[in-house]
Amino acid sequence: MNDPIGIIGVGQTPYRKRNPDRSAGELVRIAVTEALADARIELADIDFVVGGVAPDALSGIADIDKASISLPGKPYLHVNTGGATGSSALLAARTLIDAGRADVVLVVALERMGQATTAQSIFNTIFDPIYEKDFVLTTITMAALRATMLMSRHGFTGEHWAGIASRNFTQATHNPLVVGARPRTVQDVLDSPVLAWPIHLYEACPISEGACAVVLARGDLARSRETAWILGTGAYSDTYAMGDRMHRPEGSLIEMVPLRRAAEKAYREAGITEPLRQVDVLELQAPFAIIEAMAYPALGLCDLDDSRGFVERAIALDIPLTVNPSGGAQAANPVSATALVRIAEAALQVRHRAGDRQVPGARTALATGQGGATQFSTVCLLGSEAP
Amino acid sequence: MTTDDLLVLPGNWNFDYQYFAGETASRFFAELRDRRRIMGRRCPSCRRLLIPARSYCDVCYVETGEWEEVGLSGTLEAFAIILAHFPGLPEPPLAIGFVTLDGADSAILNFVRGVDLTDADAAGARLLRETRVDVVFSAEPAGRITDFHFVISSST
Repeated sequence: MNDPIGIIGVGQTPYRKRNPDRSAGELVRIAVTEALADARIELADIDFVVGGVAPDALSGIADIDKASISLPGKPYLHVNTGGATGSSALLAARTLIDAGRADVVLVVALERMGQATTAQSIFNTIFDPIYEKDFVLTTITMAALRATMLMSRHGFTGEHWAGIASRNFTQATHNPLVVGARPRTVQDVLDSPVLAWPIHLYEACPISEGACAVVLARGDLARSRETAWILGTGAYSDTYAMGDRMHRPEGSLIEMVPLRRAAEKAYREAGITEPLRQVDVLELQAPFAIIEAMAYPALGLCDLDDSRGFVERAIALDIPLTVNPSGGAQAANPVSATALVRIAEAALQVRHRAGDRQVPGARTALATGQGGATQFSTVCLLGSEAP
Repeated sequence: MTTDDLLVLPGNWNFDYQYFAGETASRFFAELRDRRRIMGRRCPSCRRLLIPARSYCDVCYVETGEWEEVGLSGTLEAFAIILAHFPGLPEPPLAIGFVTLDGADSAILNFVRGVDLTDADAAGARLLRETRVDVVFSAEPAGRITDFHFVISSST
């Protein structure tokens, strides 16, 4: 039995559209300094650094982590799984500790996309140039394609997407790290311009820059701190092309097969059999409402046939757990960092340090990560008590 | 220091590439251009006929087998209607969709043309309702994926 591992420190910059007053390294240093102070350790105590940055072109600097995250005198590992980069980095750190390669690991993820003036044309470059790139594939159209599939198969409407967006953007007003957060009603979302039908402007995640740092430790150090313990994790990949995933026996494109597998693995490890009753807080890496709707059945919170009913109950706050008290990835989505932000927020919840967005009595929190065209999925379960 | 004092330097990335399609995709495009037919390869293990053509099955991780032709009509599985202009991307309005061609076991992406996109809600409702589509080949094929597009099927 391995020593239990937990998060002993969290640091985050605010998430805003651009930071012309800070270099990339300065953003990272703010988050790292805060995480070290939170963990009550020094830089010298760090054995290993794991860093994450997703598409280089978003910052316009190749491998910007070399200039901003890696530290002299420390071993360094770079992770890139698109939007799941931050959570994949944390899972890599966990593996390093489990393998006995380190006792204390600093995990850092950075997003510098405010430097890009044409983010959607950069997202177009992540798609296959032979068969698919010509067709205006971007993160927004990728979401719109799933949305129409969900509308066709499960009877979702624009009101469902607007309802989820309204809840997330309004909850973000309790999170001081989401700069410029404003409440939005369902009608506000539906009245905003259509970007790619059925996706409206006010349900698309904004451009967000920022850095997030998390300190992972085991043993006496973790036991002597207020630690968010890792109860279970899972991470799976899927096929690159969306069309190849349309008719597979294990699940169609909208069934999020890797997320389902990751959740099953994490629940097994944590001994969770009824997630709807046993998990208090969800932090979903869902930059669009449709990802949230697809995540519920994948996380075992409802049957596939009940997806729409569950979304309606979730919007009405009529479910026994709290979704995205931070506002989630829809309100602030620093692409490379966003999946680590979800874990950091889950850690703050079970350590009861989430300020105005604290869920009273939260003991177990689940954070997801999603990368590519839902190609990479991660699940991280955190708890107040050591496993 | 005020905002006006902060240095912001202009920059751009503008590299040229040559994308290597490989043998299987090259044959797929040659069939499109020279014979106006859409061909895929079937996985000998799970028996799925993959369209667009793949040289190996993503699930079974084995080389795909013989070439087979699929129908020039199919089912629209998912679509998006692009209304916003994004710098560097084609001018809206445009409709795109994943279509499972008759006989295929995977879906191929292309433009859906001939739909009035002036009212996006009406166009969206129509595409949710009328899901049968036909392939239309371009007059001057270039051996590219854009050698054809979809239209709502005239037989429905």
